[in-house]
Amino acid sequence: MRVSLEWLKEYVDIEMTLEELALALSMAGLEVERTLTLGGGVSGVVVGEVKEVKPHPGADSLMLAVVDDGEEVTEVVCGAPNLRAGMKSPFARVGALLPAVTDKPLKKARIRGVESSGMLLAPDELGLSDDHTAIIELPPEAQVGVDVHEVLPLEDIVLELEITPNRPDCMCVVGIAREVSAISGAPLKLPPVDLDESGPDIDGLARVILEDPEGCPRYTARAVLGVKAAPSPAWMQRRLTAAGMRPISNIVDVTNYVLLELGQPLHAFDLDNLSKNTIVVRRATPGEPLTTLDDMERQLDENALVIADADEPVAIAGIIGGEDSEVTDRSVNILIESAHFDPTSILLTSRRLDVRTEASARFERGVDPGGTAFAAARAARLMNELAGGQVARGVIDAYPREIVGPTVPLRPDRANLLLGTDVPRETMAGILKALGAEVEEGETLSVTVPTYRRDLVREIDLVEEVARIYGYDRIEGTVPRGGGFDAGLTLRQLREAALRKELVAQGASQVITYSFMRPDDLDLMEIAADDRRRNMITLMNPLVETGDAMRTTLAPGMLRVAAGNINRGNKDLSLFELGRAFIADGDEKLPREVETVAMLLYGDIVPPEWSQGPRPSDLFDLKGMLENVAAALGVRGLEFETGGEPFLAPGRASRLTLGGEVIGYLGQVHPRVATGFGLEEDVFIAEVEADPLLDSALARVFSPVGRFPNVKVDIAVIVDEAVQARSIEDVIRKSGGALLMYVRLFDLYRGPQIGEGKKSLAYALEFGSAEGTLTDDEAHAEMDKIIAALVGELGASIRGREREGEPT
Amino acid sequence: MTEDASRKLKELTAGRPELAALADEAMAAIEASNTPDELESARVGLLGKKGSVTAVFKGLGALPPEEKRVVGQIGNILRIAVEAGLSEKAASMKAAETEQRFLREAVDVTLPGRRPALGHEHLLSQVVEEATSIFISLGYKVVSGPEVELDYYNFEALNQPAYHPARSLHDTLYVSRKDPIRESPDDVLLRTHTSPVQIRVMESEKPPLYVVSPGKAYRKDEVDATHSPVFHQIEGFAVARDITMGDLKGTLEVFVKKMFGAQRAVRFRPHFFPFTEPSAEFDVSCFGCDGAGCGICKGVGWLEILGCGMIDPEVFAYVGYDPEEYSGFAFGAGIERLAMLKYGVDDMRVFYENDMRFLRQF
Repeated sequence: MRVSLEWLKEYVDIEMTLEELALALSMAGLEVERTLTLGGGVSGVVVGEVKEVKPHPGADSLMLAVVDDGEEVTEVVCGAPNLRAGMKSPFARVGALLPAVTDKPLKKARIRGVESSGMLLAPDELGLSDDHTAIIELPPEAQVGVDVHEVLPLEDIVLELEITPNRPDCMCVVGIAREVSAISGAPLKLPPVDLDESGPDIDGLARVILEDPEGCPRYTARAVLGVKAAPSPAWMQRRLTAAGMRPISNIVDVTNYVLLELGQPLHAFDLDNLSKNTIVVRRATPGEPLTTLDDMERQLDENALVIADADEPVAIAGIIGGEDSEVTDRSVNILIESAHFDPTSILLTSRRLDVRTEASARFERGVDPGGTAFAAARAARLMNELAGGQVARGVIDAYPREIVGPTVPLRPDRANLLLGTDVPRETMAGILKALGAEVEEGETLSVTVPTYRRDLVREIDLVEEVARIYGYDRIEGTVPRGGGFDAGLTLRQLREAALRKELVAQGASQVITYSFMRPDDLDLMEIAADDRRRNMITLMNPLVETGDAMRTTLAPGMLRVAAGNINRGNKDLSLFELGRAFIADGDEKLPREVETVAMLLYGDIVPPEWSQGPRPSDLFDLKGMLENVAAALGVRGLEFETGGEPFLAPGRASRLTLGGEVIGYLGQVHPRVATGFGLEEDVFIAEVEADPLLDSALARVFSPVGRFPNVKVDIAVIVDEAVQARSIEDVIRKSGGALLMYVRLFDLYRGPQIGEGKKSLAYALEFGSAEGTLTDDEAHAEMDKIIAALVGELGASIRGREREGEPT
Repeated sequence: MTEDASRKLKELTAGRPELAALADEAMAAIEASNTPDELESARVGLLGKKGSVTAVFKGLGALPPEEKRVVGQIGNILRIAVEAGLSEKAASMKAAETEQRFLREAVDVTLPGRRPALGHEHLLSQVVEEATSIFISLGYKVVSGPEVELDYYNFEALNQPAYHPARSLHDTLYVSRKDPIRESPDDVLLRTHTSPVQIRVMESEKPPLYVVSPGKAYRKDEVDATHSPVFHQIEGFAVARDITMGDLKGTLEVFVKKMFGAQRAVRFRPHFFPFTEPSAEFDVSCFGCDGAGCGICKGVGWLEILGCGMIDPEVFAYVGYDPEEYSGFAFGAGIERLAMLKYGVDDMRVFYENDMRFLRQF
């Protein structure tokens, strides 16, 4: 909310500097987001009178205004919709300074072929607001030729405040002044509301029937008779303009002005258009029509609270007025409505009808039920002052059940205990009184809250008020003792962190993507209809660009990150993501959230360097990275089985299992699928559930380290193509016995020397014992067992069998 | 030749000028050798079958006994000295050769090092870890909660009023919702903050509780430089007997100063949240201007870091805690905001574009 400093000072004396005021308000919870200086530096602008309006010969949307500026009559080009002969408006002469427009003096201009010697000004051009919809209309009594500063106070300082939702009472100038008063101790000066009630008694003029006191707990009305519509005086226009409102006429402007001043939304009816001069506050009948001020014909339903006359609705209560009862320049008798409506009722109707107005926004947040009569009187006084006529005697105040502020006990000890302070009881009482509460002092303070502070209903609310005004900055910071036994990461959480660190240690970079996917991503990945990844959670109101389902796999996100990088020229990628996949879980309300690791390789794993050539990544790079991570975490039993996912290339796909359970996949993305995601070259991808990995990682035990050197033996095993490496290793390990310490495949060979359909796999084996150095005989005995098993079980032939270092 | 040997030789060769000369020549021949080959010929010339030192021993037979003893002694000293000289010379040649070889084969040390592939942890993940570890040091444990959440945990039990704009289809991403206008605790949504973890923990555990919970949260925001439909928060709360607002302030002072540097000023300012009362925002003095006012802080001199407050008694009522017995504080900070402020990132989109040129920087 924007508050004019000059306006604010009307209700409270401010001795602080602007900086001090801004700080004090911020530290009391009304955050000053910035301060603006408006309208400074304007010169050469005078009151001009539009003598004549002519069409522009070169443009339909523009007009020529003949303007008398008191010294000469000139022609200017103007496109304002409200331009008309006879109006007075701020006129910038050639040479004028308008800092809000440019830092150079105004020059003559040719606009569509017509010379324009000066400018009629809109509020934004004077720096009064952002409004550029129309030129400013000055009151008719403004004297042509005088400097605009004399009729329109331009310079002002505006505070831009963030009003939190619990403080609707601060959405008006008097509300802010009340806070300033509580902070500074300077008294609050409410605006005058005393009236010259020279008109007839209001009871003979109008009648209010309150049929729905729940929707409308209070309806206050005053009447002003015989008014004359005219533009408002400059000071009022100025304040409305600075608050972003467009001045219309004195009668309408007064209702807006009081809204800004006191926070009470008002409505002005043309009393002569109210059938039988009657106001009925009731629910609409189903289908009842009303054409509202925004020119919409609306069908109401029985939930909508309306203001009706004897025949039909004339306004939707607290939200928007009807066209027929609207105040116009011809209206002479005005009924001012100053009512209190139930916030929820307003909110629901405003939402159902999809209309939001300044009034509805305020009623939704809560308006002071105790302030309607004051606001009605204030409006009547101002209307009388600006538009003449007579104020009817008396007020209609339909208020069947008075709303009083609650009386809330405050235990000063309790407050100090919660705040960690030592604020004396009297100080607390003083703070609450300054905020407008009545305080009965005792061991416990008995605090009766003013009706404009509907946020204060509990002791804790009063504790906050005390703390706020006492000053949060005076609370001393302390550090509590902490959770003791429970503190810190669990071993499991340390493993989770280790998983991330180990992935990074493999050279992969972590990505974080949105948790969404497009359901057709699964079609693109050719995932079967009965696959669990089809059990998606979809969003009711998704964002268009991000996809409307929660991801059931991290793969689409990874592939898109890869494609995005490649498009931007990053062509060698080693990536991983740690995040959740969301699998709908039968009848459960919430899905299963599966912590998942995804990895991706693309392009070169070894970049071209001066000392080594480039090498493109392949499936075994990715597998090795995953094996390293598993080894580093101490995961046992991670197996890579042949076969797998529909979106992987045949013969390049592996299922990952742990303890017999499938926990993921690894392989090359099928080019058909890769292309669908915009990837033209080989992409390798893996996705593994994190939980089984981490569970398995917890079980690590020490095995004794031999003190004696191992005996190293190499062996080349020739087998049929169909025999998989893993079965050879399995046979070696199984038959090798306790002395076999280490097995490593170091060569894979196919070629004429070993024959068609065969391959040779060379393994380095190490034998050892914790008891002592093995003899050659012992090692050879183990080798014999291994060879026999390889020959017997796999039909292998053995080519080499050599002790390290000795040629055979 | 050792000093002892040299003195002894001098003594013995006095009056035997030819032997004195031989000794000098022998040492000179070794000294004069410049290559291993020359050294070898020097050795042959001295100690070989026809060598000059060998000749001393060969000539012994022809000498009278007394002379034989002295000359034999000279020969021995000389032989030992020559052998030592030869090996010393050989060693120094070898050492010189090693130096020479390194100089000949000098590498350009300004060539780039052969670096193993370097992975990078995402900046957001690093900031989560930084923030979490500060709270761990203060005695907190880490708990995570579901990202797809019930209205009950995300709004209702956090005292969010009915019909609040945050609870609308306009602001929150919903999985299911019974009524477009009226919300229900059974509605399923993507959590809009990490605060539901407060309720879930308090519902199942008893105080004292010191908990932080980092994680993803979601809002229906279009993507731009300062908004993202997916973002990260770190939630924290402490509940025990006699937890005070001073504890909240002190804890967050530690956090902000550890996170952003002890020289930063902090400011604790009243605010409003439905789930805390009293509520506050925590500001840190602007990095750009140190409080004087600049573009980064929009002239205010302070940057808002997080929201916090004392847990509202209504929230305690939902989880069955007696607010007269327990008190507590809670806070929530945006990880992206912390990262942007701490590392000068000026556009939230870079976190989720995952461009390698961004990832590599941290």
